[in-house]
Amino acid sequence: MAGKDIILTTLRDAVLVVVVSAALALTVNGVREEGIELVASRAYEVFVPCPEPLGEVTPVAPDDPLIGAARTVLVDARGEEEYGQWHHTGSLHIGFDYLEPVPMESVKKLAGSGAAAVVVYGDGDDPDSGREMARELAGRGLRNVYYVEGGAGALKK
Amino acid sequence: MTAERIMDWSGHRWLAFGARLYLAVIFGMAAAYKILHPGSFALDVATYGILPLSLINGFALVVPWVEAVVGVMLLAGFRVRAAALLVSGMMVMFMVALAVALAQGLDMSCGCFASAETGDADPIGWTTMVRDTAWLALAVYVLLADRRPLGLDGLWSARRKT
Repeated sequence: MAGKDIILTTLRDAVLVVVVSAALALTVNGVREEGIELVASRAYEVFVPCPEPLGEVTPVAPDDPLIGAARTVLVDARGEEEYGQWHHTGSLHIGFDYLEPVPMESVKKLAGSGAAAVVVYGDGDDPDSGREMARELAGRGLRNVYYVEGGAGALKK
Repeated sequence: MTAERIMDWSGHRWLAFGARLYLAVIFGMAAAYKILHPGSFALDVATYGILPLSLINGFALVVPWVEAVVGVMLLAGFRVRAAALLVSGMMVMFMVALAVALAQGLDMSCGCFASAETGDADPIGWTTMVRDTAWLALAVYVLLADRRPLGLDGLWSARRKT
């Protein structure tokens, strides 16, 4: 076969493959129970976190002695309302927002506190706001940052 | 004529056969995840922020089946050039999307083999770009060098000659 014929045959075959694949895709999608609509009726809720530098953090159990230690700063990462309803004695409230970085003044306050460790607890959900804040704090240069496994719910128990 | 002699080397069909098997496995794996989780893949496509909303679901439905079909074609040696052309085209398309996402600094799932929504880690990065470039090179090699492919095309061609 001449070069031009090869190119034309290849293109024709490729188009055929796409047509057959599309027919298969639409048929299977129409038959299956969990098929999706061909045209999305509402916008997807896309959540892409900003590329904040994140550090490695260590989880601690809710009964870990580190939590009540004299040189530990305990941070409550939940919202103001949840903090008002209950918070661990001596905890500092720095509400975590998934869309905004932790305010620089809060980071400076923690860095200048002279504490040997920072332990953060959050809502304990998946993802856990406590763990996310701890990772952000570690990524911004704080050392010995921990988070409470299970968050506030586990601490209450 | 040196280039022509190089392209006529009989060893190409065996090298290309290996490349075809490898690409078939890769595309088969990628297609399986996307066909099983069309909603998650559609969300990954939406996260790239390139396609308009009206095209996202159609793209998320059709592309995995194209991947699956070309995977089978590469495995069977059927219409190898067309399959390799489609693999090359898809790789270029994926790489453009990846480059746009990386340039924007997005920290997101690639959507290649798993999804952020299904909880499997498959984050994008420059290593993803290197990996895709290697796969594109393999596909282009098959497209250009596999002139007498092992498999159904080869059998069909031999039968026509006899």
